[in-house]
Amino acid sequence: MISPAAVARRAAPVLACIGLLAAWQVASLGLKNDSFPTALEAIRAVPDILGDKESLINILASLRRMAIGFGIAVLVSIPLGLLMGRSRAVASFFNPLLMVIYPVPKAALMPIIMLWLGVGEATKILVIFLGVSLPVIYHSFEGAKAVEEKMLWSGAAMGLSALQRLVRIVLPAALPEILTGCRTGLVLALITMITSEMIARQSGAGNILFNALDMGQYDTVYAMIIVVGAMGICLDAVFERVRAGLVRWSEPQFDMPLSFS
Amino acid sequence: MKVVPSRSSDWVRPVTSQKPASAIIEIDRVSQVFQTSARNDHLALSDISLTIEEGAFVSILGPSGCGKSTLLYIVGGFVSPTSGAAKMKGQAITGPGPDRGPVFQEFALFPWKTVLGNVMYGPRQQGVSATEADAQSRALIEMVGLKGYENFYPKELSGGMKQRVALARTLAYHPEVLLMDEPFGALDAHTRTRLQNDLLNIWERDRKTVLFVTHSVDEAVFLSDKVVMMSKSPGRIREVIDIDLPRPRRRNELLLDPRYQKYVVDIERMFDESDHAGSLL
Repeated sequence: MISPAAVARRAAPVLACIGLLAAWQVASLGLKNDSFPTALEAIRAVPDILGDKESLINILASLRRMAIGFGIAVLVSIPLGLLMGRSRAVASFFNPLLMVIYPVPKAALMPIIMLWLGVGEATKILVIFLGVSLPVIYHSFEGAKAVEEKMLWSGAAMGLSALQRLVRIVLPAALPEILTGCRTGLVLALITMITSEMIARQSGAGNILFNALDMGQYDTVYAMIIVVGAMGICLDAVFERVRAGLVRWSEPQFDMPLSFS
Repeated sequence: MKVVPSRSSDWVRPVTSQKPASAIIEIDRVSQVFQTSARNDHLALSDISLTIEEGAFVSILGPSGCGKSTLLYIVGGFVSPTSGAAKMKGQAITGPGPDRGPVFQEFALFPWKTVLGNVMYGPRQQGVSATEADAQSRALIEMVGLKGYENFYPKELSGGMKQRVALARTLAYHPEVLLMDEPFGALDAHTRTRLQNDLLNIWERDRKTVLFVTHSVDEAVFLSDKVVMMSKSPGRIREVIDIDLPRPRRRNELLLDPRYQKYVVDIERMFDESDHAGSLL
């Protein structure tokens, strides 16, 4: 037996999607602009993209870049953030550097990076890396800083060395905060991935989108936006599943889905 | 001013009268200075010397801010004294070690581990096999009265239960000395009483050396063989009092015992006197 409240909760996101598509459809029919296809036309173009081998290879290449950039960023940023959170010396060394990088849109660095590394994979992966790193470093730092001193003392009394305390106490204790940073980082990875492909146009999902725009295939443009959006929602939903499983011990008994999926 | 009432002098002995043969912890002229700002230093502990005998239950009793927890942290090796030294079995204490097991007011459990995972953590770290650590830990969890809660996470437990887990977690790696830092300070009166009783029952089985920090006179007298009274600003040892009450102690008998009542009243009066003396300065 499902309660009416549960039904309403399940139905709400579906209704929101239908409402948005309906508004799009009406606006498009009303405006009668060639560059603004209707929702139905855009949705009808989605299978064309996903059915095209060339497009699929491009999208998979994008995902690969994104995964590599995200992976390297997480592997570098978590240890760095944790060290900064537990050592004042490390924090005061890296803080000024990060403060400088933080407000700069990572895509704005693309021209310089392209001069060094060309328009290929390395450039795009580096930009994704930069985009993901900062939120992960920041949240790892905050998480590590908040670890209770007495918890570390308890570990030290059991015989854990400083490195063991960092890996086996600070890391798990800060994990909820770290994963919050990773979730932000994942969305930023998608954004920087598309942006980098729009600037260094060679292959990838961002390139398909802009090629379609150049050729006036507006339904493909909108369909591609839908595809990218769906990728983001799916990645976020999968990540949220994993995250919730890893930090169940810290979650308050809270039933409301915080995921936007 | 005469500090000790004459009629209680028969049970008040200076610290120097202890037999050094059975000493497990020696605190030798320890002082601790904290820098509170660029120009201000706060003398938290001033010239503390104290010897703890093996197997004794010793309470450090004093008002908040007298440095009693700091003294415990120095013995634990978590804090280095500004001057002086603490020794464990004749060896200078340079850092934390499994021979001295802390239990904190804040519990400091590992929230990502279950009750069983927390209790097993120390033995596993000490190289005890998983099956053996599991069996020992389950027995300890039962001893502290939490049988059935092995797979609960700390956030699912009440404060009293968390402190029971913390005690079991520390007992699990067999420290020679238990360092208890106001362990029942965050608990309500009822839970506090129950944990005091249970701690005494557990302690009376193997009589580990316990250093117990508290600001409760009742608690100190009820539990201890010896009460170290501290005064504040700067933190100094004011008096060391032997609590000569029979064991095993039962709360319902002890509370009616005039000797227990006399200890409590005398200690409270000594604190009042020192407060009064302080206000005259």
